[in-house]
Amino acid sequence: MIRAAGVLVVILFSMAALADGETPVVSITTPDVERVVGPPRGERLAGEALEEKTHQVSAQLRCPVCQGLSVNDSPAPMAINMKNQVRDLLARGYDQQQIVDYFESSYGEFVRLSPALRGVNWLVWIAPLIALLVGGGVVWIAIGRMRAKPSEQLSSEGIEAAGIDRDRLPDDDALIPYVLRVRELAYGWPGGRMPSSPDASGEEPR
Amino acid sequence: MNKNVLIVGGSLAAVLVLFLFLGLGKDPRRVQSPLVGRSAPAFALAQVGTGSPIALDGLKGKPVVVNFWATWCVPCHEENPLLLQTAAQLRDHVQFLGIVFEDEEDRILSFLRQNGSGYPTLMDDHGKTAIAYGVGGVPETFFIDANGTIVSKFEGALTSDAIGRELRKILPEGVIR
Repeated sequence: MIRAAGVLVVILFSMAALADGETPVVSITTPDVERVVGPPRGERLAGEALEEKTHQVSAQLRCPVCQGLSVNDSPAPMAINMKNQVRDLLARGYDQQQIVDYFESSYGEFVRLSPALRGVNWLVWIAPLIALLVGGGVVWIAIGRMRAKPSEQLSSEGIEAAGIDRDRLPDDDALIPYVLRVRELAYGWPGGRMPSSPDASGEEPR
Repeated sequence: MNKNVLIVGGSLAAVLVLFLFLGLGKDPRRVQSPLVGRSAPAFALAQVGTGSPIALDGLKGKPVVVNFWATWCVPCHEENPLLLQTAAQLRDHVQFLGIVFEDEEDRILSFLRQNGSGYPTLMDDHGKTAIAYGVGGVPETFFIDANGTIVSKFEGALTSDAIGRELRKILPEGVIR
């Protein structure tokens, strides 16, 4: 009698469980990463290694809602979600290349903080080098010319050949003391007058 | 030398101006997503309120409009009446789905109670679906044809012209006049 009662209870519980089973079971599935980048190629990471690699991979991804910040550096919820997904994928054994490729497949190349070395992107890497070489060349030529010009200017023969009178003073009497002072300081001429000049005696040339 | 510098500099500036000019003619809301032309990432997400899941794969054979939105997003509020109206008008031809982006279920439920709900709204799991769809902000709307291929993506609040134009791409001729 007791056994029969026990069986009845079990049957009733089973029926209740079956009834529960009829209600739809929530099976949430998010988009399948494997369908995009294939099965995991790396080793499953955990602990400190996982955190370190998460930082490393997240630092290569651009936060889509920020201004030039990486997913690793941004406090935005979007970036936090992306970083969590990076951590999740590393824990499941996806390697760095697969993870970056996965994000690139949905956000485009924009999501990479450093453009990949392919196609037109080569220009991005080579252009600064070319600009540096061209700029360096221009500076080199400019310096060469600057070096050549002062020597021409300072050569006494050049000055004489050009018919320049270094001892000439301005017409404005107020400026004369200043010009003489400058010449004294610049050329070391006593009193600002050319030593060999006949005007060194005191007569001011015009 | 000066003439050469002027020619080279002028040419570079002209190319730069040309690129900028071409860019000015583009609509920044019409973004070419790398997902356009590819199969829409599959998902099965829980409906707000009931928790029962809806799977994208289960809707194959019917065009789908997936709209990522949030209650804190003002443009989402602006486009909501248009989405509800269009979903009601084209109920037999296209399935609309809303996916919650960085928001809480309570707020979503409150918004839906206040503004009406014409189609299922789904909770994203840690933003993974948004990431798979390359969502960077809301609202963003994906137009998926009956084969499950993403035909276009629209960023920003949809207007009646824009939604008509995008729907024509996934619906048979004659459904939208």
